[in-house]
Amino acid sequence: MLRVDQFHLRSVLIAVALAVCGADARADALDGVLEVRSAYVSVEGGVYLLHARIEYPVNPAIRDALHDGVTLTVDLDTRIERERRFWFNTDVLELTLRRELDYHAVSDRYLVRDVRSGSQRSFATLEEALSDLGTVEGWPVLVEPQLTAGNFRISVRAGVRRGRLPASLHALLFWTDDWHRVSEWYTWSLPE
Amino acid sequence: MVTPGVSGPPAVKPRWRGIALVLLWAGVGVGALLLLAKSVQNSGEFSRLQPWILLLNVIGVVALTVLLARKLTQLVRDYRAHVPGSRLTARTVAIFGALVVAPLLIVYLFSLQFLNRGIDSWFHVEVKQGLSDALVLSRAALDLRVREYSRHTENLAHSLANATAEDVAERVDEERRATAALEMAVYGAHERIVTAAMENPLESLPTRPPPDLVRQVGERRAYVSLEPQAGGEYLIRTAAPFTESPTRADDRYLVAIYAVPTQLAALSEAVQHAYSQYGELAALREPLKSSFRLTLTLVLLLAMLAAIYGAIFSAQRLVRPVQDLIEGTRAVGKGDFGTRLSLPSRDEMGFLVHSFNDMTKRLRRAREEATRSQRVVERERERLAIILARLSTGVVVVDRELTVSIANQAAGAILGTDLSAATGRALPELTAGNERLGQFVAALVVRFGAGREEWREQLDLDSASGRRTLMCACTPQPGADRGLGYVIVFDDITMLLQAQRDAAWGEVARRLAHEIKNPLTPIQLSAELMRRRFLSSMSPQDAEVLERGTRTIVQQVETMQQMVNAFSEYARAPEMRITRFSLNQLASEVADLYRSHDPRVEIRLELDERIDAIEADRGRVRQIFNNLVINALEALDGVAAPRLEIATRFEQRAPDAGYAVVTVCDNGPGIQRELLGRVFDPYVTSKPKGTGLGLAIVKKIVEEHGGRIDADNRPEGGARIRVVLPVTDSTRSAAGTRERRGQLRREIV
Repeated sequence: MLRVDQFHLRSVLIAVALAVCGADARADALDGVLEVRSAYVSVEGGVYLLHARIEYPVNPAIRDALHDGVTLTVDLDTRIERERRFWFNTDVLELTLRRELDYHAVSDRYLVRDVRSGSQRSFATLEEALSDLGTVEGWPVLVEPQLTAGNFRISVRAGVRRGRLPASLHALLFWTDDWHRVSEWYTWSLPE
Repeated sequence: MVTPGVSGPPAVKPRWRGIALVLLWAGVGVGALLLLAKSVQNSGEFSRLQPWILLLNVIGVVALTVLLARKLTQLVRDYRAHVPGSRLTARTVAIFGALVVAPLLIVYLFSLQFLNRGIDSWFHVEVKQGLSDALVLSRAALDLRVREYSRHTENLAHSLANATAEDVAERVDEERRATAALEMAVYGAHERIVTAAMENPLESLPTRPPPDLVRQVGERRAYVSLEPQAGGEYLIRTAAPFTESPTRADDRYLVAIYAVPTQLAALSEAVQHAYSQYGELAALREPLKSSFRLTLTLVLLLAMLAAIYGAIFSAQRLVRPVQDLIEGTRAVGKGDFGTRLSLPSRDEMGFLVHSFNDMTKRLRRAREEATRSQRVVERERERLAIILARLSTGVVVVDRELTVSIANQAAGAILGTDLSAATGRALPELTAGNERLGQFVAALVVRFGAGREEWREQLDLDSASGRRTLMCACTPQPGADRGLGYVIVFDDITMLLQAQRDAAWGEVARRLAHEIKNPLTPIQLSAELMRRRFLSSMSPQDAEVLERGTRTIVQQVETMQQMVNAFSEYARAPEMRITRFSLNQLASEVADLYRSHDPRVEIRLELDERIDAIEADRGRVRQIFNNLVINALEALDGVAAPRLEIATRFEQRAPDAGYAVVTVCDNGPGIQRELLGRVFDPYVTSKPKGTGLGLAIVKKIVEEHGGRIDADNRPEGGARIRVVLPVTDSTRSAAGTRERRGQLRREIV
């Protein structure tokens, strides 16, 4: 919920700031399709595994930025809520699968790096790298004991932003950074 | 009247509002500081709080803008309406604003310039070029290795095409050892492993070939890739089909993985890292500049708006006591001395306000005192006016030009004119047609002309209606400058003098009657005795002398007796016998009597039928008629066509006061002017014969009946005597009572 609020608030504030300061509006650098095409969970040995297909945007601006040395952080946000009939849903957990995509200029390859495990793969083309990023197979998100009685909803959202910035610069770029997009939530209910 | 800055509950509200505003701003400031401290400790937290901080700032800007717009609008409106203090406020705000805004703008522009140049300086062209060259160099160094390993792999694959399976395995293992490859494996169709040689003998299986490798080799083309690894190492993956001819059915291919030497890998990774870092920063160049500009602009806006608002707020707080003082002064100028200003502080301004309040308090007390004194004076004046109106004494206050400032009713009555409207007019202007007032003014002019300012004299004023004697006193107006005004007080003492004369004459008459009448009888008897005794014994000559002498004595004694009787009649005061009779009938009887007595004189009667009857002493009223007619007939002696008119008339002067007015006129020579005032005195007569007591007796009888009598000359000639008698006895008694009370009821004649 906080993320949604922050996103909307930030959009409003950016709009206000742009209007106040008279800055010219610029095209979104992450222009293109960004959506969760499909997603489901499977249970294997009491572990819930997430499977998802995501389409990430690809355009010359992204390619140029990667070639210039920019690292993109690709997040897959997962949220599991317990549904309540007469009140707001309650969060069971929130998880983010964070990976980085950058261009290795020396080898002329695109690297996809798992931030948590540190493992990386390289691809000859950007499309292959994005395809790899867009295919999530068997990501363990929770174990059965975490789910008590009731109905649960799973929401998945993909996000792309400019990564690996110093915190101070990240704060400053709040105003004008258009390298930040998130998809709509892809939501479904868990069968009981 | 609503006064500005009045102390009490209304003055408290703005103070509390100001304190609340200060507390609010202090809270916002402390909150911002706390957020800042938190962000410094934890940049991640700052990232989360960032929108709220920004929202706070934007709200601050909007709130300040709204507040400032309201303040400025109000200030402009006040300035145009010339509201007191608005110009001072505007000037103060302009000075404060300029003092704050100018440095802020300078700092802002300087900071912008500094930031733009600083950020631009990070990205020198030389740096970028150097990094690009290093990158090319790294690539070139690695390419040598890549190509070498690729060629070697291709050659090995071609040489293995015709070898047996055992030879292939042996050759692959030997080649791996010879080239120090990490792994070397031969795959068949469907990625089936034919043979593999690993550097690490514990690893049973080679790395699965990536899809692009499989795809490319399937097309019978060699494959090579330089793959960076997580630890900064590089792997060179090469692959080559055993045969490049698509017609041959051999699907085997050789895959070899080599490690790039550590030193080369480290150098290349360093170049990659530097290039990546630089590129990332370079991409942030414009966004950074924009962000700095926007942040600075926001800070500038906040600071400027806050400074201007603070300037207006402070200026208004400074000017508020001045405005209150101006409003208070205006209120005092309009006469509102109840104005109280609330004390703004204990500084010099507070002292000024305290002094103002003290001044208004003193002014209010002074005005209350003045009002009280004025009320006392007004009351005294009213009392004086009442006293003056009730006085029988005439009082006139005039200035040097004889302009009247005060004149009471009695003064007008005595002087024979209405002085109620004379205030502000000069006395000489009022003398036209009033002989008595003219003589009075002339007497004043003579005395003032002689420089006499304080005097007391008796003035005799003659007019057609008779002589009036005034006892007049003049004194300079007290309190005023000497000579500026005079108070003239006068009394009509005509009646008093008349009464004194009447009393004196009564005494004379009584004494004459008593002292002279007594010796007359012995004289007459002695003369008659002498004639009887000696007349017969004397010679005829002597007898004739005696006869003539005694006759003369007796005649003169008789004459003297008649005179003494007349005096006796005048002096005596017989008891009146009041009866009710017809006055008109009595008048007719008298007229008839004298018509027969002297037919030569025409006697006219004009009787008022409204006079039914009067209550009086009939005998004495008849004497009034007799004396008046005899007086008139004597005056008509020698007059051609003598005429006598007797008229009666009824006058209702009050609902219970009816009067009968009897007028006797003749066409004789009239009364001499010098005798006009004394015609009713004894022994005042212009006729050669008569005692001179006729009219005096008439007057005495009239006054005994409570009536009045006066005499004047008719304009067409002849005398006119008018007698006013009360019709009823009660009216006479009432008239007598009023007369005794001494109330002034003078009639203007």
